[in-house]
Amino acid sequence: MPPTAFKTILGRNSRLHLTAKEEKALGGEEGEARRFAMEIATKVGDAVGAESLVPIKSAHVLAHYSSLHEAGIEVLEKFAGSGGKFAVPTTVDPASIDLENWQSFGVPEDYARQQFRLCEAYAKLGGIQCWTCVQYQVCNFPKQGEDVAWAESSSVVFANSVIGCRSNKITAGMDIACAILGLTPEFGMLIDENRGAKVAYRAAFGTPTDLDYRSLGYFIGKNSGSRVPALEGLPRSVTSDDLKHLGAAAASAGPVTMIHYVGVTPGSGTLAEASKGEKVEVIDVTRKELEGVEADLNQTDDAPDLVALGVPHLSVNELGSLAKLLSGKKLRKGISLYAYTSSQAYEMASRTGISADIEGAGGRMTHSTDAEISPLKKLGFNTVLTNSAKLAEIVSSEGEVRLRYAPLAKIVEEVTD
Amino acid sequence: MTETFRGRTLVQGEATGEAVMSARAFTFAHGVEPSSGLVTDIRSDVRGANVRGKVLLYPHGKGSTTASSWFLETVREGNHPVAIVTSSVDLSAVIGSVMAKLLYGRTIPVVSGVSPGNSIKSGMRLSVGGEDATVTVLE
Repeated sequence: MPPTAFKTILGRNSRLHLTAKEEKALGGEEGEARRFAMEIATKVGDAVGAESLVPIKSAHVLAHYSSLHEAGIEVLEKFAGSGGKFAVPTTVDPASIDLENWQSFGVPEDYARQQFRLCEAYAKLGGIQCWTCVQYQVCNFPKQGEDVAWAESSSVVFANSVIGCRSNKITAGMDIACAILGLTPEFGMLIDENRGAKVAYRAAFGTPTDLDYRSLGYFIGKNSGSRVPALEGLPRSVTSDDLKHLGAAAASAGPVTMIHYVGVTPGSGTLAEASKGEKVEVIDVTRKELEGVEADLNQTDDAPDLVALGVPHLSVNELGSLAKLLSGKKLRKGISLYAYTSSQAYEMASRTGISADIEGAGGRMTHSTDAEISPLKKLGFNTVLTNSAKLAEIVSSEGEVRLRYAPLAKIVEEVTD
Repeated sequence: MTETFRGRTLVQGEATGEAVMSARAFTFAHGVEPSSGLVTDIRSDVRGANVRGKVLLYPHGKGSTTASSWFLETVREGNHPVAIVTSSVDLSAVIGSVMAKLLYGRTIPVVSGVSPGNSIKSGMRLSVGGEDATVTVLE
């Protein structure tokens, strides 16, 4: 008998077992796109010790030029050009430019052209045109216990920790393969035993500000290593937007894919439930630790030329709070204020009169893109002021622009008259 | 005395090169410049080092799920490390390496489960890979 496609590609020692249908896909009987996707999924599955591929309910993928680069265009166009179609509902992270108003933001045309190649390939694959990193607030709603394959580190933390569905941090390239197959290797956070908390934190600093949630997340991400953390002591007033930013900050600082929010995360009503009965170290996070994070993320005292709010995308509620803060004020000369959001929240803010207050103060809303993946330097900015720990972490990684990190109320006070 | 560390092979291959050894969370995303291989992340303890042709070691990844595409672009530009060695599994290293083979025919072994502590320092020559997933200090 001739060797199966599977054995040819993976070798005899692989633990991964494929169904007859999966074997056919790997052998090319279902077309080149599915063959290529299967080759990626099986090789990665084999590397991480998965025993099988499991069905997913949805996928969330990446298609922004600033991070995918030329190689990423090659990957997406290879899939789209060989007849690939997403097998499950698939949503997409923000683009590197405002897809409607990019010219008015001063985006160079050759840069926009590369982004639109990615948009075209994504559309050809049949993806949902959402262009947001908060798909779980807009158009992708798994329920507790379901398996999904999501890229976008902040959304993976939200999926595992707030919704209680299960996702690994699926990275670029693999995301498209999973979406085309409707399958993902079963490993990591898809397996119950790996989801127990191994370290715990206690919020011990009184009523948190917007910045405190983000700094707390950053502290957890930086100090947990590859252990799954739990968090106790959140006030009952914590909102899903707060948890969105907390999780995003944590994921930006380390490999975190889940945080057991004790009393919020499904199945984690107590710390003992979160840790599956195991005794874990509990670390108090006080004002001192939060101030340490602030000092770490603040790189300059210079006056900002851009206030960037978002990262992850602001919800319509957050845009509403911003509008209230800005109402009746005027942005100082020489400073731009961009509120990054989804096109859906943008539309609702426009209909609700929220955008009128933001624009009346001299600010702008921008949709379908986000600050950390837009070419800030190319757009002419040198010093960015934000309350996003994730943006602070990423911007400082690249080292092109300098960053200041402050709570929203203080930001508005500083940049308006 | 030859020092050898045994880990788990995630992506097969063999390579020899100088170590770039980081003790902190590492990411290619926004942290390595694909056009040069230079580490730019101001929070990295190997900022200013160049990963091109090197054996890159770090404990675990961090941040954006785009790390694999930044890694892949570094390969496309020819500025990639020859091997990656981590303590816990970094999926972006695995996926980047798998894609590097499929798209550009480059074999970049990835080994996890190695925590060398202070025994490996940047600049030491290492050999990585083979059937038994070893990292050996050559000099």
